[in-house]
Amino acid sequence: MNEKLLEVKDLVVQFRTDRGKVTAVNGVDFELYKGQTLGIVGESGSGKSVTALSIMRLIPNPPGEIARGKIFFKGQNLLDIPLDEMRKIRGNKIAMIFQEPMTSLNPVFTVGNQIEEVFALHQQEISKSERRDKGIELLKMVGIPSPERRYLDYPHQMSGGMRQRVMIAMSLACRPDILIADEPSTALDVTIQAQILELMKKLQSDLGMAIIMITHDLGVVAETCDHVAVMYCGQIVEKSDIKTVFSRPRHPYTKGLLESIPSYDSTQNRAKGRLPTIEGMVPSLFDLPAGCSFQDRCKFVTQDCRGGKGIPQLENLAPDHAVSCFNPIVV
Amino acid sequence: MNIYVYIFRRILYVIPVLLGVCLIIFVLFNLVSPDPTLMMLGRHATLKQMLELRHELGLDRSLPLQYLDIVKSAFTFDFGRSWSTKQEIVEMIRNGAIPSLTVTVPSFIIALAISLVIALFVAFYRGAWYDRFSVLICVGMMSLPSLAYILFGQKILAYDLGLFEISGYEHGFPAFIPYVILPCVIWIMLSIGPDVRFYRTVILDEVYMDYVRTARAKGLSETVILFKHVLKNAMIPIITWVVIQIPFLILGALLLESFFGIPGLGGITLNAINSADFPVVRAMTILSAVAYIIFSVITDVLYTLVDPRVRLK
Repeated sequence: MNEKLLEVKDLVVQFRTDRGKVTAVNGVDFELYKGQTLGIVGESGSGKSVTALSIMRLIPNPPGEIARGKIFFKGQNLLDIPLDEMRKIRGNKIAMIFQEPMTSLNPVFTVGNQIEEVFALHQQEISKSERRDKGIELLKMVGIPSPERRYLDYPHQMSGGMRQRVMIAMSLACRPDILIADEPSTALDVTIQAQILELMKKLQSDLGMAIIMITHDLGVVAETCDHVAVMYCGQIVEKSDIKTVFSRPRHPYTKGLLESIPSYDSTQNRAKGRLPTIEGMVPSLFDLPAGCSFQDRCKFVTQDCRGGKGIPQLENLAPDHAVSCFNPIVV
Repeated sequence: MNIYVYIFRRILYVIPVLLGVCLIIFVLFNLVSPDPTLMMLGRHATLKQMLELRHELGLDRSLPLQYLDIVKSAFTFDFGRSWSTKQEIVEMIRNGAIPSLTVTVPSFIIALAISLVIALFVAFYRGAWYDRFSVLICVGMMSLPSLAYILFGQKILAYDLGLFEISGYEHGFPAFIPYVILPCVIWIMLSIGPDVRFYRTVILDEVYMDYVRTARAKGLSETVILFKHVLKNAMIPIITWVVIQIPFLILGALLLESFFGIPGLGGITLNAINSADFPVVRAMTILSAVAYIIFSVITDVLYTLVDPRVRLK
């Protein structure tokens, strides 16, 4: 863990809606180092995708708006640079893949055409004929069989897994420093999911890029990440290396998430009793309670959590282990 | 399957469709409508006169034979002679088509170009004030009845200001030009409202698709995204909308032709209906059906060129 690639500081993203302004991301901080895989976990609506889109400055505006914060990429604040400069970074230095492999590719252009577009945009020194060779090479790299033939295929001629491979190939065309993967395996069935994650791990070790893995699946985190940030209602509630989070979670929400992973008792050949859940519902972002947003679902709630001491902030409980909780679990 | 085989097969499908159309026309004209001889001879006609006329017009022949006549005319375009003017109908169509086309074709092309440009512009700046303003203008233009445009054009622009000819027509190029300018302008005004709204909707449907987000994530500029990625997808509904209008260009603009005294096909049809000139009405019906079928085949072929998902099987 050497060079710091990305530093997000106090990021606040708001959306204007018919029911008023809603804060989807509320003061998120994290860093990403070269070669690292950072998992951002959370339920739907926790702000993880919005955080990812903010880094690319792809928040649709209107209705969305990055209200506050800084995103430093190699020391340069991405929120300060003109859009033209940002476009030179997108797909080149920072690339992104999405949850919906079925619809993320343009249906009326061949996959080859869509890959070559990235070269034409960011690496103009590559000649037209070379582009084709490099594109086919990329398809080979992501494990697409007979890439020369598949290069001329249209997206609808491919399965979801194949399309996600094409998306990965396209995102890696310029050997980015950072790959943001927004639920890359969620829409795929389990065997394909494992293949895609395996592929991403392999490509990361080959190319040495950093990955931000957005997911709601702690299994995916356990398999791929070395650091993890848990998000709840637009805030990071716990952030640490993967071992610490899985073995000694300090935030009650993280602990609840970990407990609600189904497990299997191999000696008795059946599931271990009733699956624990986190009681209650995620509060609406329109009326978050004063204080900690997890208070209504928390078994360890105290008077402090109800707004007496404001909103809990991330604090380092140990080196490289930050938790935002007034009454963290003692381990 | 290659594209030529596809086109050939698509053309073969035209034959049963055309036979069906002929059958409907036959039923409508020969079985449902009242006896034409009664209308032609007036109410003091004797039975003998009627029978003679029926024989003369070929209406006493067996029904299958009469149906075959219609089928034959649909394929050969030999529609016989008009009952009232005794002219060759093909000749009438040929003479009427040119004045009609001099109005409809330029209007259609200019309206298409203007509407597409406006739609792309407002879609690019979607949500901005000129986008919302354009919707307002379009709805306003669509809400005015076409008669309002015609009367305004003829009274204010042509009569009071003397900018255009009020009505009339002269054959031959370039003599016809002064007579068609005002009808063209009115046609364009009438088309822009619905066209812009349609193209804008189609383009905006595409703008929020996932592939557009991917294109942005690649670093493409908004201009490339709109003109390359979005427009090619939007072409599919646009082609349908445009090509399906073309048959109506051949038929001419009924209202505009009658107000501006243009001797086009629209006027011929109107006269034929009024004088119960069945062969002419039938010829125009067949002609429009054939044109419609041909252009729907063309639409299908264009689909395969624009949308790779339309596979030929």
